Formats: sequence, C-alpha cells, structure tokens
Amino acid sequence: MNRDELAKYLLDKFPDTLELLETGKAEPFFLLKKPDGLVEFCRAIRDDVELRMDYLCQMCGVDTGENFEVVYSVASVKKRYRFDFKFPLPYNKAEIDSVQTVWAGANWFERETWELYGINVRNHGNLTRFLLPDNWDQGFPMRKDWDAPDFKRLPEV
Amino acid sequence: MGIIKKVPVFLEKVPGGGIITTSLNTIFNYSQASSLWYLLFGTACCAIELMATGASRYDFDRFGMIFRASPRQSDLIIAAGTITKKMGPRLRLLHDQMAEPRYVIAMGGCTCGGGPFYYDSYAVEKGIDHIVPVDVYIPGCPPRPESLLEGCLTLQKKVKTQKIKDWS
Repeated sequence: MNRDELAKYLLDKFPDTLELLETGKAEPFFLLKKPDGLVEFCRAIRDDVELRMDYLCQMCGVDTGENFEVVYSVASVKKRYRFDFKFPLPYNKAEIDSVQTVWAGANWFERETWELYGINVRNHGNLTRFLLPDNWDQGFPMRKDWDAPDFKRLPEV
Repeated sequence: MGIIKKVPVFLEKVPGGGIITTSLNTIFNYSQASSLWYLLFGTACCAIELMATGASRYDFDRFGMIFRASPRQSDLIIAAGTITKKMGPRLRLLHDQMAEPRYVIAMGGCTCGGGPFYYDSYAVEKGIDHIVPVDVYIPGCPPRPESLLEGCLTLQKKVKTQKIKDWS
C-alpha cells in the first residue's frame, strides 16, 4: 500500500474514529475523534494483520495556545508503513491513558510528556522525573504560559 | 637546559656549573604554566574544536597541555559546550574535586552567557560563572582552535603573575 491506499484503508477500517488531515506530508496524518478509545484503537492497529503497526516512533505533547494536543507517530517495521495521529485535550482536563500495554516503549515518552506539559497519564506506574533535574520545582516548562525568574522570551521583532 | 634560553631575565647561571639561581616563585609559575593539564569536559559541539586543538594540526601538547580523564590529576577545566541546569551541579562537583590551584576556561558562547540558548530556554544555565569561578572567557560558536590557543596563552600569562604566598 502506498500513502493514499494506506489512508483509505485506515479510514474504511475506522470510519467513526479517524479523520484525515490535509498536511501535504509524506505520511498520512489523522485526527482521533474519540480520545477515550485510544488504547483500543492502538491495540487494533497493532494487531491488524494488514497493518501490524508494531513500533511507536515517538509521542509528544503540543501546547497550541488554545488547548493541548498529543501526537503519536507509529510505524510498521515489517510492512514499512508509517502514519501519525493526534487528538486535542482541554487545559482543564489534561489526562490521557497510557499505551504501555500496547507498546512498552511508550513509557519514557509518556514520562517526558508528563513532566514537560503536565499532561497526566493514567495507569503509567512510574510517573517520575525524566529529563529535568531531580529537584525541579518550577512547573511544566513547555507550556505557553510558563515563566521562571531567569527565563527570557525572544522579543518580538 | 632549554629553560635558560627561554626565560633568561629571571634566571642567573652560576659560572662553570649546572646550577641556576632563581626565585621559587618564578620556577613554580613557569612549571605550572607549562603543564596545564585539562579535564576532559566536552558537553557539546565546542568539544569538537577542543579535540581539533588537541590533535596534531594545532597540537596542544606544545604548551604541555594534556587531557586527563580525572579531576584529581587536572589543573584546568576547559568547559567546552552547553552546560544545562542538570549538568551544573556535576560541573561544580568536578571543579571542587580538583586540587588547588585550579583554573576554569569558559569556551564558547553557551558557557560565557547562554549563547544561542539565552532566549526561550528553560534548561540551559546562562553562563557557567553562576556555578564556578571563571578565569578566561572565549566567545565564539564554537571558537576556532586559534581562539582557544589564545585563551590558553592568556591563562598562562595569568598563572605567571601569581604569588606562592597567596596560595591558600
């Protein structure tokens, strides 16, 4: 399957869950319409015999200024497929489910997302400091409204 | 007896013997400035220039500067590269482990004052003089080996002005 066939296959397979975003990138980029069914969706694309998305390349948080987003990039090592999907999260309810039961490598990505954005991860098991210093007490630095005494924003030009 | 040819001002040769008279200060400073062993502390791209300076083309060994992998054997830290806030306490620990007199060269824009990470960075220390006392600052991103050599010669000049009685 090439890019368009892969996108069509996924949209046919998960019509209520996915929505294709036009990005112009080489890989299809989907919006996940039901964030509550994240773990079920991840398990479905991993176990699907046509897809076999067995590798989580990366996941990260995004602060758009209006809400959070969480972006997942998945790949199939055997079938050479790759696509991304994301879903928005409101500021006041920034919580996601852990996908460690699907891809064990999600552990570190979820710790990173938690400590940089403050997005809580349910059922993680080891939500501790990962990249920041162990005695860090200045909040979540990748948020748009974050500030610290020695932090300077680049002036607008 | 190359030392007699190099620093004839401070030395006096006793006729007919292999004996020289000089002040203890001069000979100490001369020895120390000519053997500044530096601690390997390359944390970013400046370390590439540091390696180039240590290699045969620029040849740090001319100044008696040999890298050491242990702070106990070093006189000097060349902090080559970005020091993050997480790395800061480690740098301080290594500096404290060195025997006195000890020196620090801040190599590159990041260690001088944050450099390209001055704005919009939560992770980078804005200058290592917040952590350790710095003797010589070498700006540049990264500085060329010539700049580093100039900085080391500047440090040698500083070493040669020190007095033994000031040692604590």
